[in-house]
Amino acid sequence: MHEASIAQSILEIAINECLKAGASRIDRIKVEIGIMNAINSESLLFAFNASKLNTIAEKAGLDIVEKPVGGYCKDCDQRFTSEQLLLLNCPICGGQNFIIDQGRELNIIELEVSGESEDSKKHT
Amino acid sequence: MKVKIVKNILEANERIAISNRQKFEEAGVFVINLMSAPGAGKTSLLEKTLSLLNGKLKAGVIEGDIVGTEDAERLERFGIPVVQINTQGACHLDANMIGEVLDELPLRDLDILFIENVGNLVCPAEFNVGEDMKVMLLSITEGDDKPSKYPLMFRESSALLINKIDLLPYLDVNIERIKKDSLSINPSLRIFEVSCRTEQGLEHWTSWLLSEAERKNKK
Repeated sequence: MHEASIAQSILEIAINECLKAGASRIDRIKVEIGIMNAINSESLLFAFNASKLNTIAEKAGLDIVEKPVGGYCKDCDQRFTSEQLLLLNCPICGGQNFIIDQGRELNIIELEVSGESEDSKKHT
Repeated sequence: MKVKIVKNILEANERIAISNRQKFEEAGVFVINLMSAPGAGKTSLLEKTLSLLNGKLKAGVIEGDIVGTEDAERLERFGIPVVQINTQGACHLDANMIGEVLDELPLRDLDILFIENVGNLVCPAEFNVGEDMKVMLLSITEGDDKPSKYPLMFRESSALLINKIDLLPYLDVNIERIKKDSLSINPSLRIFEVSCRTEQGLEHWTSWLLSEAERKNKK
């Protein structure tokens, strides 16, 4: 269950960014997660929904964008993506001369926030 | 309001891992993060490794377990500094847990520090703790399909020890498949076939460790 630690980290970063933007409530968090991280989306959602209670993200939804494995094959000079975790051959030409450069993403990419934080009220 | 950001979710962990790493560098200690499924033989490997390294490298251990101190007690018999971390349910060690116990170890007196992670073939691979390298252990009783089913740890590790090879005659496991699949996931993976019970192959592992530790200290 590394999903619990991941959910906790998502919340910490999102809350921090929300306050930085001068808002008081998080409505939605969008994350991109490469499938090579072996993170189960259902477990992550479960952990997120449990961790968000009593925070400014209490009503927030979590959108998980799963990113496939992706790479570039030097044999056929093409980019490819694959849903398979273990690639022994290029899915296009079957060659073995390829590099994997996608599938380990683990990022928050977008937040939807609303309300005005106490801080920004003071300033206006 | 939409806020577009790109923030790595594990950045807090990465930050602490970097600070741990600086402490290891300052103290000149070579740090191994040892990972495997439960029961693959991490503590047995450390027991054997500590006796083989005795007199050659001054070692310390951070022992990660969900609960209990059994493993730490096994290693304290070697008269070396051992710190036990109980993760209270967490299935892996993270950089913060390691950072919090570093003051309890005489880092400057050590040449090598082994961090024995919680037994788990998935989660520990995700969290850097500031180590020089990750090393994983796979026992042949776990089956030859493990590299293809759990590729992340194989990809993240610098070395793989295939343990319990004394049991090969009694199992249907295909050790060549383990090696082939592991290397296709991670072509630079260093593989050692060992048995902690019979000590077969362990001298290759310890002489490699010695040379890696030396290489680091020369830098």
